[in-house]
Amino acid sequence: MGLLLFVPGFHNDYINLTFRNILMYAAMSYGWNMIGGYTGYVSFGNVAFFGIGAYCSAVLSRAGVNNLFADVGLALVVCALFAIVVGLPILRLRGHYFGIATLGVALGLTDLANNLDFLGGSGGLNLKQADQAHFYLYYYAMWVVTLVCMVATFFIARSKLGYAFVAIRENEEAAQVLGIAPTRYKVTAWAIGAMMGGAAGAVFAPANGFVDPGTAFALDNNVFPIAMAILGGMGTASGPFIGALLLSGVNEILQQKFLWLHSLFFGAIIVLIVLFLPRGLMYLVGLRGGLRRWFSDLRAFRV
Amino acid sequence: MSVAEARDVCLRVENVGMRFGGLWALDDVSFKVERGTILGLIGPNGSGKTTMMNVISGVYKPTAGSVLFGEKRIADVPTHDVCHLGIARTFQVVKPFASLTVRENVAVGAMYGRLGAKRSGKDAFSRTDELLDFVGLGRVTDRPASDLTIPDRKRLEVAKALALDPELLLLDEVMAGLNHTEVDEALHLLREVNQRGVTLIVVEHLMKAIMSISKHVIVLAEGKKIAEGSPLEVTSSPVVIEAYLGSRFAKRQQEERER
Repeated sequence: MGLLLFVPGFHNDYINLTFRNILMYAAMSYGWNMIGGYTGYVSFGNVAFFGIGAYCSAVLSRAGVNNLFADVGLALVVCALFAIVVGLPILRLRGHYFGIATLGVALGLTDLANNLDFLGGSGGLNLKQADQAHFYLYYYAMWVVTLVCMVATFFIARSKLGYAFVAIRENEEAAQVLGIAPTRYKVTAWAIGAMMGGAAGAVFAPANGFVDPGTAFALDNNVFPIAMAILGGMGTASGPFIGALLLSGVNEILQQKFLWLHSLFFGAIIVLIVLFLPRGLMYLVGLRGGLRRWFSDLRAFRV
Repeated sequence: MSVAEARDVCLRVENVGMRFGGLWALDDVSFKVERGTILGLIGPNGSGKTTMMNVISGVYKPTAGSVLFGEKRIADVPTHDVCHLGIARTFQVVKPFASLTVRENVAVGAMYGRLGAKRSGKDAFSRTDELLDFVGLGRVTDRPASDLTIPDRKRLEVAKALALDPELLLLDEVMAGLNHTEVDEALHLLREVNQRGVTLIVVEHLMKAIMSISKHVIVLAEGKKIAEGSPLEVTSSPVVIEAYLGSRFAKRQQEERER
């Protein structure tokens, strides 16, 4: 993570953009990890928060406020409130039904952005960017956002709150009998994750200079963070970052070498990960007992 | 009922009925549990014992009647707040948090149970270490819960429930699947828990285990309370024998006794 501070030193726009995207995906992956990894509620709609964050910055910019602190601040507040208001009804649902509901939320927001005039409709909104000399500002801002997500995840996982999340994931009924109010903690986890995704969106919008429903609620922005968290290790504090680094790297290489088939390769890689490393890379790091343990664990996942 | 008597009653089950579709899993069941005692709840398979546990612990809301803990109606309290009143339970099918260590499993209870709000994470873990030593899991504290043997999983269930600092503890077949020595160890543990002032309701279909631990037993069959009394009274009751072993056996035994 520290090494990524030196990326702007290359003074290469392509490298800069690639690594900023890695950081952005990592932050979104941390957001998903909070609800999907720790609490065990797989959300297919976390891109909603990225989009909300991006539009917060766009609206502020149109109102004449071009300040990253204001952008992120507004995104945090709006995303948390939105997550609570939407989460209270849909997080009463258990298991798959929640996933379906979140998909609906993301699709609904895309339509809303497409049709609301003050959000620029399908044409999108332009944002005022910093001049070229200060352009690396956005890179560092994204770096800070990602670092905060990582550190927050680390500390939450070791707090009472984190244990409530994991207890719900492992067995909701048993958690409830131990005094954990499931809906309250699920909404908390979702709201924390929402703030992480929103912050990434709030920095992305001015860095990109333009926001429309297609970029803010892009399919990639929904799927990549999930795949990254799974690759790195769901429910770990380093998993999403490692996953983002590796998966983005692989994706870049595939795009350069096999432009036409890169999605196919990318899909194949995800299938292989789920088959052979269902608990992600961080699980290998902590694995005692070597190959034999790995095989016996793999078998345990099979029917 | 005098005031003194009311104070001694820990739990009052009043005409509880629980219906699932067309089936009354519990039908007009009433009993009282006195503070500091061990109540045995027995009955053949499918007699409604676990349903009773679920009603008392607030997992199910009864279709009829009510369960009173002190002055509180359990049905009025959300499931996750029942343990804050002072009622804890174990599950017949043990439900450990598989990816957490034994210590973390119990600590979750200490963090969110009756006294949990006052505890920091650190306090919760020190309370946990006391409990793990008490139930005899001190040697496996940092193992993942999924690695435990059956007797240890049962111990873990008890430790998790105790971490809630309960006044009333419901034990749902904690001795099922244990061998003779393990049953003895479990009985010893339960007596010790009771001596610490915790009221127990022990559900079991091992008659023998119940007989040695509780002075008062309730027998359920097909959702109805068919007998209540001391273990000796209950086991010699023809109705109970019939429920367990069938009417032919009961009749034969009756005839033998008359001869």
